[in-house]
This record gives sequence, structure tokens and C-alpha cells, in this order.
Amino acid sequence: MSLPALRRLLRPSLLSYSVLSRSIIPTVATRTALLTTSAVPSSTPPPPPPVSAPSTEPTTLTSSDLNLLPLLRAQPQHYATIHIQGFPFLVTAGDQVTLPFRLKDVTVGDQLRITHVSVLGSRDYTLKGAPWIDEKLFEVRATVIEETSEPMRIKKKKKQRTRRTKTVKSKHFYTVLRVSQIDVLEQ
Amino acid sequence: MPVKVLPAVSKAQNGVGAFVLQCKRLEFNYCDAAGSSRGMKCSDRLFLKHCLPQFAKQNPAIEMHVAPRPSKHPIIRGVYINGREKVICVRNLEHNQVLKKAELLRNSSGLQLRKLRNPVQSINDSVRGIFSPFHGPKHAL
Repeated sequence: MSLPALRRLLRPSLLSYSVLSRSIIPTVATRTALLTTSAVPSSTPPPPPPVSAPSTEPTTLTSSDLNLLPLLRAQPQHYATIHIQGFPFLVTAGDQVTLPFRLKDVTVGDQLRITHVSVLGSRDYTLKGAPWIDEKLFEVRATVIEETSEPMRIKKKKKQRTRRTKTVKSKHFYTVLRVSQIDVLEQ
Repeated sequence: MPVKVLPAVSKAQNGVGAFVLQCKRLEFNYCDAAGSSRGMKCSDRLFLKHCLPQFAKQNPAIEMHVAPRPSKHPIIRGVYINGREKVICVRNLEHNQVLKKAELLRNSSGLQLRKLRNPVQSINDSVRGIFSPFHGPKHAL
């Protein structure tokens, strides 16, 4: 039986916080839990995560989360799991994201501010939203760099002992984004 | 021996700082006589006369060339920063369709069309580090 603080950095499945078992359904509930996954054991174990029913009120961080947020912010590299029209992408700053669809009402060169982020992490700390993280805590921006498409795909459908062949063509459009910054904001 | 600097070339990440439009030139070729340029007075010519000035104004970074290309179908040729060219034949298209093709060339980079395998492309190291069995809490068997 080990303290929660001793849990492995790279084995989130070992963490038995109740936040992890909650299914990710896009509700308004945005109760977040800041998990300490440091490899160095701390003197006191972190408090158990808050378990609350989904509410329509804006997210409030617990005091323990607020204490750990500067530590997350101080780390050199961050990653975020951004959600665009329901599709999740794990990105760091400078990454190129090719969306499997054409993003409407944007032109090449537009700057986008990502609003739906479910996980914001660094090497030793992870902030998980349920399902989203409060927008006041982060700033993730992306630039639309290209609107392109896949090469033409031709699917031939033919049944046995029948001469008729059906040809179906598809060529889906893609929008390519470049994530320009991922910042954890000062509270 | 003096300390030598390692030669390193910066990795291009268009859009992180400033964004540079990849299309640098669009060439519009048409034929005065051919019907695929829609009788000269419509479609491509209509595009050239009415749609193109506005399109050129909206895209000041792109060089626009207009030239007759006799006895050939009308084409739009896009020249990109990576040196590649994309050519679209706009024969028998209406002026709004020609504009759509011009916008398609403007929006794309010069790269060849590729099937989407991994949506995220990154040159950064992993944030949480590579797994090591020697770090972390010990397991008891």
C-alpha cells in the first residue's frame, strides 16, 4: 500500500482517483483535479480529489490545486489535449495538426483561440478537466496555415458472378493548423 | 583549439511566429479563340475582368500574371515557395467556379497531396519523457 504521492509518473492507470473513472461526456460540469505525479515522494500525501455532481456553475479550483498550479506553470514544457469539433489532439507548442475535415468560417492565416482543453500537463504535473478545463487557466492559440485535401480515393464495389462494377470516389478536405502557443496562465 | 559552434539550421514552423502564405504567384492563361474560355466574353474573361481585381486586392502577397495562351484550354498555375507548381485546367467553367479554383490554389501549400495518417506532426521531444524501469516506485513481486 503506497502513498498516492509515490505513484509512478508514467503510469496514470495506477492512479485510482475518482476523476479518472468519470466518463468524458460534454456536460457543463468543469470540476478539475490537479494531480501530482512527481517521482520524488513528498512528506504529506496530496488530499483526495473532489468528487461532486455535475453543476452548471463555473469551475472553481480547490486550494490544493491553486498551490500546485504555479509548479505546473514553472515547468519548461507543456502539452495539452485540445478538442476541435469533438476530435482530441495531444499537442505541444509548434505542432502541426491536420484536421480530418474542413474547418468552416476560417481563412488561411486566421488565428484561433482553443477553448476546449481536457488535459493540460507537463513532466511532473497534470491538470485534468471534467470534461473541460476552465478557460481562465490556459491560453492555447493556433494559426490556420493551409486548406488542402487528401489524394483522390477510388473504391470499386463488385459482387461475384455479376459484371456490374460500382465506382465510388472520395477526396476529403483537410484544414491544417499550427499550434503557436500553449501557456498556463498566472492566477 | 578554439570552441567551434555546431552548425544548425532552424526548423521552419510557419505560423508559430509569423504566418507566410505559401502561394507566391498565380498565372492565369486563357485563349481568345477557344470556346473552353467561354466565348471570350464570359466565364474566364468575366473572371479576369470582374473577379480577379478584387481577388488580387484581397491577396496582396500573391503575384498575379495574366497572359493569353492560344489554342490551349484556360489554366490557372500556382507557384509555391517550396518550388512546386500546381496547375488546374478551368475549361468550360463559369466565373464563380474559376474563382473557387483560384482560392483552392491560394489556400494550399506546394506539398503533394498525402493521405492523413497521423494528424499531429511534432518535432518536439515528449513532454513526460521516455519510460524508464529504473525510475519511479519499486514494485513488489
